[in-house]
Amino acid sequence: MPLPVLIVDDSAMSRKLTIRALPPEWDVVVHQANDGSEALEAYHAGKAHVMFLDLTMPGMDGFQVLETLKREGLDCFVIVVSADVQPKAEQRAKELGAMGFIKKPVKAEQVEKVLREFGII
Amino acid sequence: MNIRPYSPDQEDALQEIANVAMGQAGSSLATMLDTFVVLSVPRSRIVTVDDVGSAVAELVPQPEDATIVRQAFFNKLRGEAIVLFGKDGCRDLADLLGMDEVLDEKGDEELLLDVSNILVGAVLNGLAEQLETDFGYSAPSIMASEGSVRDLLQPEQLGWSHALLIEVNFALEARGFKCYLVILMPEESIEMMRAVLDRLLESL
Repeated sequence: MPLPVLIVDDSAMSRKLTIRALPPEWDVVVHQANDGSEALEAYHAGKAHVMFLDLTMPGMDGFQVLETLKREGLDCFVIVVSADVQPKAEQRAKELGAMGFIKKPVKAEQVEKVLREFGII
Repeated sequence: MNIRPYSPDQEDALQEIANVAMGQAGSSLATMLDTFVVLSVPRSRIVTVDDVGSAVAELVPQPEDATIVRQAFFNKLRGEAIVLFGKDGCRDLADLLGMDEVLDEKGDEELLLDVSNILVGAVLNGLAEQLETDFGYSAPSIMASEGSVRDLLQPEQLGWSHALLIEVNFALEARGFKCYLVILMPEESIEMMRAVLDRLLESL
């Protein structure tokens, strides 16, 4: 069965860029969310075994999503895809349970590397 | 000259590009000050030149107290990058850099020019990289110390008909410090940018 993957970003272009960077042979069904609260909704609906999460978003941001997931007992692989490239942003995201941290603009090689690292592909 | 606003797709692409560029600038600032920088969601809009002053003032709380540093940039795209600091901006920066002595006016100005230069350089490099272009830019200069933003952006000074405004801001988690970076581009750059954004969107 294809794996449910959720792309969370307030920018439609950025979501497209991330989708384009997914490994072509990876058997997934892609869902999209526009902000943090949509992301949690999709996650609760079982649409996020893997989540690609932007950090800076209006309304509920990526850090808040991570905090909520952590509180609820994280049950998905979160890979942060971020324009915020400060080492402390990465450190914080990982402390909150993010498995991977990819810097924007996202590149296919980076995505593949993170997915391989955690044995997802 | 009549300038159409950007389509929602074009605006989205522009803001995302600004977002990535701002992230690189925020990282440079974080390294310089050794603190965490909270990034904003970029905003953009196109206004007639008569409205530039008030549009910039709207983006910034207490514009009447701001110190403004400007840097012109040019090449295929051209315009002005301005950085606005609040009244206590200098004190906050000096504290973070461990400069205990009270700065005189010249020291204050140098500090703000340095910080502006880092932010503007990083944002413009970030934009250039993604838009596959490059920019030349002037040295930063102080436009006004604690003057009114509106007065500084008079239509006759700019000599443009329209302006594209892109605003991002940087806040330091450790203290109240916040500064605003606004990029302004005139009509022909607005159209050039539109073409670049369209190409980018088509490639998706």
